[in-house]
Amino acid sequence: MKSPIAASLRLLVRDWRGGELGVLLSALLLAVSLVVAISGFVNRLQFNLERESASFLAADLVVSSSRAMPPEWQEEALNTVGVTGETVTFSSMVISESDDMFLASVKAVGGGYPLRGSLRVDLGGGRYGADTPEPGYVYLAPRLVQQLDTAVGDEVYVGDATLRVAGTLLDEPDSTTGFFGYGPRLVMHVDDLDATGVIQPGSRVTYRLLLAGSTGALEQYKNWVEPQLVQGQRLLSVDESQPGIGATLERARGFLLLAGSLGVMLAAAAILVAARRFGERHTDQVAVMKSLGATKKTIRTLYALSLTWLGILAISVGSGIGWLAQDAMFTALADQLPGEVTRTGVTPYVTGAVTALVCIAFFAWPPLARLGAVSPLRVIRRETTIADSTRATDLLLGTFSLGGLMLWYSSDIKLTAALLGSIGITVGLGFFVARGLLSGTRQIGSSAGSVWRLALAGMQRRGTASAFQVVIFGIAIMLLLVLTAVRTSLLDQWRLQIPEGTPNHFILNVAPIDEAPLLQFFAERDIEVGDLYPAARGRVMEVNGDTLPEWGPDATGPRQREANFTSTDAKPDGNEILSGEWWAVGSDESLISLEDGFADDIGAKVGDQLTLRIAADEFVVTVASIRSVNWESMQPNFFVIFPEKLLDRFPTTLFTSFYLEPDEKYRVSELLEFMPTITLIEVDVAIQEIKTIIDQVSQAIELVLLIILVAGALVLIAGVSSSVDERLHESAILRALGAGRATLLGAVAIEFAAMGALAGVLAIMGSEAAGWVLQTQMLELDYQVQWLLWPLGVILGSLIIGSLGTFACRRVVSAPPLQVLREL
Amino acid sequence: MIKTSQLNKSVKTAEAELEILRGIDLEIKRGETAAIVGTSGSGKSTLLGLLAGLDSPSAGAIYLDNTNIVQLDEDERAVLRSQKVGFVFQSFQLLPALTALENVMLPLELAGRDDARIMAEDYLSRVGLGERLHHYPRTLSGGEQQRVAIARAFAAKPLILFADEPTGNLDTATGAKIIELLFGLNEEEGTTLVLVTHDNTLADRCQRKLIMTAGQLSEAA
Ligand SMILES: Nc1ncnc2c1ncn2[C@@H]1O[C@H](COP(=O)(O)OP(=O)(O)OP(=O)(O)O)[C@@H](O)[C@H]1O
Ligand SMILES: [Mg+2]
Repeated sequence: MKSPIAASLRLLVRDWRGGELGVLLSALLLAVSLVVAISGFVNRLQFNLERESASFLAADLVVSSSRAMPPEWQEEALNTVGVTGETVTFSSMVISESDDMFLASVKAVGGGYPLRGSLRVDLGGGRYGADTPEPGYVYLAPRLVQQLDTAVGDEVYVGDATLRVAGTLLDEPDSTTGFFGYGPRLVMHVDDLDATGVIQPGSRVTYRLLLAGSTGALEQYKNWVEPQLVQGQRLLSVDESQPGIGATLERARGFLLLAGSLGVMLAAAAILVAARRFGERHTDQVAVMKSLGATKKTIRTLYALSLTWLGILAISVGSGIGWLAQDAMFTALADQLPGEVTRTGVTPYVTGAVTALVCIAFFAWPPLARLGAVSPLRVIRRETTIADSTRATDLLLGTFSLGGLMLWYSSDIKLTAALLGSIGITVGLGFFVARGLLSGTRQIGSSAGSVWRLALAGMQRRGTASAFQVVIFGIAIMLLLVLTAVRTSLLDQWRLQIPEGTPNHFILNVAPIDEAPLLQFFAERDIEVGDLYPAARGRVMEVNGDTLPEWGPDATGPRQREANFTSTDAKPDGNEILSGEWWAVGSDESLISLEDGFADDIGAKVGDQLTLRIAADEFVVTVASIRSVNWESMQPNFFVIFPEKLLDRFPTTLFTSFYLEPDEKYRVSELLEFMPTITLIEVDVAIQEIKTIIDQVSQAIELVLLIILVAGALVLIAGVSSSVDERLHESAILRALGAGRATLLGAVAIEFAAMGALAGVLAIMGSEAAGWVLQTQMLELDYQVQWLLWPLGVILGSLIIGSLGTFACRRVVSAPPLQVLREL
Repeated sequence: MIKTSQLNKSVKTAEAELEILRGIDLEIKRGETAAIVGTSGSGKSTLLGLLAGLDSPSAGAIYLDNTNIVQLDEDERAVLRSQKVGFVFQSFQLLPALTALENVMLPLELAGRDDARIMAEDYLSRVGLGERLHHYPRTLSGGEQQRVAIARAFAAKPLILFADEPTGNLDTATGAKIIELLFGLNEEEGTTLVLVTHDNTLADRCQRKLIMTAGQLSEAA
């Protein structure tokens, strides 16, 4: 052939007119646009959520220090990362013009603060602002305005400085980070710090250097600064500062990736089906071309080039569709989504293109490559069959390539293995069960009425093809089931994580003698308060007699750690023992239970001897158990727990938690006035944020699910239409022989319904297996067998496939038989 | 032009080895017209397929224009076909996705001809379908489809044309027209014509008549 490129283009155009490329192209388009849409959407969502949680820090990375940091730290930050800001936080008495005084938590801000998130300030007179205060001006939290009996425009005194109130602080992004500096907020400019003269050597101050920039630059800076950190200095990143949010985000990401992978699997299945059909439809054409002198190579070049064109078309158009889809989804969610609308970046398009290439190479190409081997003899002997166009090796290769793709999307071996494994189960079982049952049904069919006999005979005659269809339907239904099941339990458990009334305030440092008055205070106000736990600040000094180094320059390996120690004989809710055992109630042994991350930090395992120091006391305990702690629960959680009797020996303070409705917030001032010595930690904002994120991500997940559902439907349609030609031909003959429309349509409906029921059974078996692995291993959720799904799967499978199939084959009875026979 | 010696073809079936062709010796000269007749199942199509290089024999040699095609691999035979062999089939074998014109252009394109379109248009008008160039096979009658197939076969100017029951699907009158067309073109182009047929009028028009009986070939008197 002279110009294969031109010829392949002609072939493509002709095939397009023949309507055969439509299915293949749609399947490819589906794959590309699905990947681009989901990955684009996930990217943007993730980016926004990260931004959102970054706003908890007001930065992407924070260096926190209890003393002023060397100026090089900031210079280096400016050089490597670019954007910086700073905050200096301390407690100070604030005095108003009316001589009212109140202890405020002062935050002096400078540089680009806040780098993430924004301030919200009521400037008075119906104006609102988001800028940081100018030097000479301050913003006051509403409670401080109230306590000081002051107003916008008045002056307040912080140490020696006189500053003017520029507005009421309604919201600050980093209000919840770091449990220090309690009391209502005052925000001022760092340039005024010196004038206040408040900061003296020895005063308790937290300095923070805020950084925002690219992940790489941040990583570089992190590596640079980490070795220089000394005691009292640490790095805060999004995940560490808000473990609850970090874990929530991670889970959301995991689910979205899972959804994306399932989407691609569905698309690949659709492509496989479409290419198979394409190949089968082209067998005769190739035989004729070969009889006319086309060589194997010509045929292969021709189809390879055609696929290339198809790929180019699918990638470009699919990327466009994908972009539109993700943008539509995003815009639909934009109101609810946190942060500014962001761009997708190029990764989704690259991912989409690679997906298309893999799908073409491993799913579309094998059946077409085999066309090269079609015997030209077919032109004289119609019955010269070609080997089944899908071979075990194809399936194996396809599965591996899909696995590779998924691994690439998710970098998650477990996820990939779970999905591939469950597909394997469905496929393997599918072919055995389907073929076995199909031959069984033939027996029943032969003794049944004519409609049934026709249906079952049809199913059986198409043996492998029917089994293939059943498997494809099974996979599609299975993936959809997995997705819905995981989604349901994910969302349920998420929502259960922070139920209504979760304590949103913590009280620390309650002296034992204050216990009774405190409880009375809450009782009078009808506020429910949690149990009181004893707590003591302590430090782990040695493990098995080896002294741990302090936090210092080379910050690798086990280190000393300080923590709040508590005691209880009842294992806290939501804690899970990972190794060792919980002690008996009333135990007086010297035991300790560690949180697993903490145990890692100090390098301890069950049975190790730890030397602890509380106040001036040093003593040795044995690690009895290591626990996982559910940080997402926002419950009081402890790194270190003793048996009750052990901690009794030490002076302790008490701590507890309580829940306040938003409109009861003023109780906080009452409480602090009533008992000024306590430390109050307000986590209501953080809890609200987590709830918002959960709500938003849930909505996103519902949306993604909807797209996947469409993909699943397309697979079903492709699967159904794969046998339409043959059926059309057959029933045209049958109709010519005098079969009634009702008989034919009935037979088609029964056949598809039976395949659907079979597929339903397979899907349920596969999805239970996949669900178990995914839920327990990947999303770390409990697994429950969804018994309800079993009958539902069978019924829905037969209903959906039955009606889809009947619909797709409606031409079987509507088209005049002559026309059908002529076309085929 | 065509020569076979001791051509055998047998296939393995579930029960036994089935000998379809036994020791065929045949020689057909350039420009000759030959008809192969015989009862159904006697092996006529099988022989035609072998001669055209669509299949390989179990034993024996086949010379097409002095090339032993048995020694060629499938692709080499394909190239040979595109240069020297044309086909007309009982069931027409037009590609449904292509128009009449494109069907005729196909072998020309495969042979790498630049003038594919002009040639195709020319041959289609010669078979009387000049007005229906852009029609699809399904919109043509059986006779018209067979005329497209004949145009396709002759357009590539083959040395040999094989036809397997070219009139088998057509009524007598239409069949007669097709026969006229075949022989007319055969004379104009000097093509060697080998056809399998049940149609006696057609067989009688040929210079030679070969009879196939149970896999063996004999010349009619
Ligand atoms: N690949 C094969 N496998 C099994 N049997 C075959 C095969 N090819 C041909 N046959 C058998 O060989 C015999 C000859 O077949 P062929 O198609 O050549 O007959 P024919 O003379 O063309 O008959 P007809 O006039 O009906 O077209 C038949 O009995 C056929 O069933
Ligand atoms: Mg025959």
